[in-house]
Amino acid sequence: MSILKEFTPLFAPQTVAVVGASTKGNALPNVFIRRIREFGFTGDIYPIHPAASEIDGLTAYKSLADTPKPVDYAYIAVSGAQIPAMLSAAKGHVRFAQVVSSGFGEVEEGKNLQSELADAARAGGMRLLGPNCLGIYTPRGRVTFTEIGPKETGPVGIVSQSGGLGTDIIRRGLSRGLKFSGLVTVGNCADVTPSDLLEFYIADPQTKVIGLYIETAKDGRRLFDILRHAKAAKPVVILKGGRTQQGLAAAASHTGSLAGDDRVWVALARQTGCMLVDTLDDFIDTLLIFQTLTPRPQRPTHKVVLFGNGGGTSVLATDCYARLDLDVQPFAQGTISALAELKLPPGTSITNPVDCPVGTLQQDDGRVAEKILDIIYAQGQPEALVMHLNLSAFVGRTKPEVLDNLVAAAMRVQQKHPGKAHFILVLRSDGEPVLEARKREFRDKAVALGVPVYDEMANAGVALAALANFERFKAARA
Amino acid sequence: MSKANENPVTAARNAGRSALDESAGKELLAAHGISVPQSRVAKGAAEVDAVMDGLKTPVVVKVMSPDILHKSDAGGVKINLQTVADVKAAIAGMLEAPKIKGARIDGFLIEEMAPAGHELVIGGLRDPQFGPLVMVGLGGIFVEILKDVSFRLCPIARIDAEEMLAELKGAAILKGARGTKPASMDAIIDVLLKVGGDNGLLMQHTADISEADINPLIVSDTAAVAVDARFILG
Repeated sequence: MSILKEFTPLFAPQTVAVVGASTKGNALPNVFIRRIREFGFTGDIYPIHPAASEIDGLTAYKSLADTPKPVDYAYIAVSGAQIPAMLSAAKGHVRFAQVVSSGFGEVEEGKNLQSELADAARAGGMRLLGPNCLGIYTPRGRVTFTEIGPKETGPVGIVSQSGGLGTDIIRRGLSRGLKFSGLVTVGNCADVTPSDLLEFYIADPQTKVIGLYIETAKDGRRLFDILRHAKAAKPVVILKGGRTQQGLAAAASHTGSLAGDDRVWVALARQTGCMLVDTLDDFIDTLLIFQTLTPRPQRPTHKVVLFGNGGGTSVLATDCYARLDLDVQPFAQGTISALAELKLPPGTSITNPVDCPVGTLQQDDGRVAEKILDIIYAQGQPEALVMHLNLSAFVGRTKPEVLDNLVAAAMRVQQKHPGKAHFILVLRSDGEPVLEARKREFRDKAVALGVPVYDEMANAGVALAALANFERFKAARA
Repeated sequence: MSKANENPVTAARNAGRSALDESAGKELLAAHGISVPQSRVAKGAAEVDAVMDGLKTPVVVKVMSPDILHKSDAGGVKINLQTVADVKAAIAGMLEAPKIKGARIDGFLIEEMAPAGHELVIGGLRDPQFGPLVMVGLGGIFVEILKDVSFRLCPIARIDAEEMLAELKGAAILKGARGTKPASMDAIIDVLLKVGGDNGLLMQHTADISEADINPLIVSDTAAVAVDARFILG
């Protein structure tokens, strides 16, 4: 069976069984039932209960083997000791079982129970997710373990060994404009591992970029082989927990096995083209750039143009980008002359970085930005252009439509100059609620149009460097 | 030494050894096409005349003992010996050295000296989750103090080997900084591939070799020679 077909019941289940829902309607599995109904799940839901005939208005069944149709996905949250017997009794009636309960391999006294659980899943003829995880979020299947999450299916496929971090990725990703093809929390990985799901996402036509949060890779060799044979067909971003000795100790108690050595992960990234990141923010920032922009191996990104307001910001960004091996090189004379013809007010720098104070940007109610961008695109030969606006600097100085027009110019760039350069928008603010609300509105529009939006120049730089790295890798190994 | 029809790893395992001695290690390297200095083994001083017959001087003499891991520290290495008499005297001296006296001695490795060049280290180790890894670094303080090494998972391709060398902080030294001759990059890459490549030593012996250490690999502007090698089995 192909990997796509094998995992379809997980990502788009027709039938969902829920073990652990209470007749009083207040247990975690009851919440799960409510969430998938709200998320628009239209298949059959089978509560499994030893005594009740009905739970949350749904007919309940005594065991996983008793449901009218086979179970594509079973969500199991009851005390660990009773689960193995439940799984082995399912006798081929269940495709995927996700055990969210803890008390297994992550603690010394649960190690035997975890092997029993894995054996029972095998005996019962199903694939097992978890234990010690939170669930799955799959917009194509209308199943979710989270309270909120985008309803549309998107291009970002995630595997997380931590459930809580999986929730963070969805919630923060949502506010940053990420759209997911799926997110699976895998916990202790007693059966299904990140490697299995990586294989699925590589084959899955919905998925354009893959993100893995990994603490331990018990099947590290397989992970390496899958990545190696994929030849960077899709970008893979790895957030690796436990890369230091202390982090390693924390990870060992978190997921219950020893993590690999850091140098292994560095080596893996260098030779398979994966992007290794250190923080959740870098992870989301990097996923966002691959969601919105298409890598361009035929002309890897190196030369970057910066355009916006904030002289110090431009200088710091130039330093930051240089450290990331991105080159903010001054324009050739032709570009400078063309920009000089716009006769921008004194205080404007037109070399690169193009530094325009608010007084310049408000010219023609902000429409000046489009003229500047047109010249940069026509003459400056950028491989990437980062446009940055410090929203706070406009407060009390300009009409609201100035910012609208500036952002509108940014959003028209890709249409006007398609395929010429990667375009990124940085919207800086001071956290003031009214500005944040505007930023959010701008961000949603821009990301929907394929313009990635970042909070600071450094975040954009990290993401852009990852994109450049991926392009160089593909170029060198084409 | 192993029998002709048996590879040195199998031979050492069958003999219950936990490591390859230097001679067996070099035999393994030679079997993978990696240059090692011409060498012979003398059981003792009495065999030196016969053994020296086919070797070019100067030579180096090294004690072979399963009890001695760091031969130099124990006084078990004498370099730049020109005559049979020099070699015999060196062996006699070693047998008196406090750390060698009580050790089990398999013999003495008498070996032609490699021409001068850059000293590198090429190593290998088996990760419990990821399997074999190959490592390269510049010798001496670069690897010991600065830890200036790069790792890759086996098998590596040529481009991986090139990138491993490029990412060493001391990479410029190999290109001939401060008036030294450059090291042959092709020769280093060739050894890296023979150790860590698709059909390389580490991939072929994954089940048996837990650690490998070619130290030093002496690289001139035309060739690379493995002057010492250790392989830990297990």
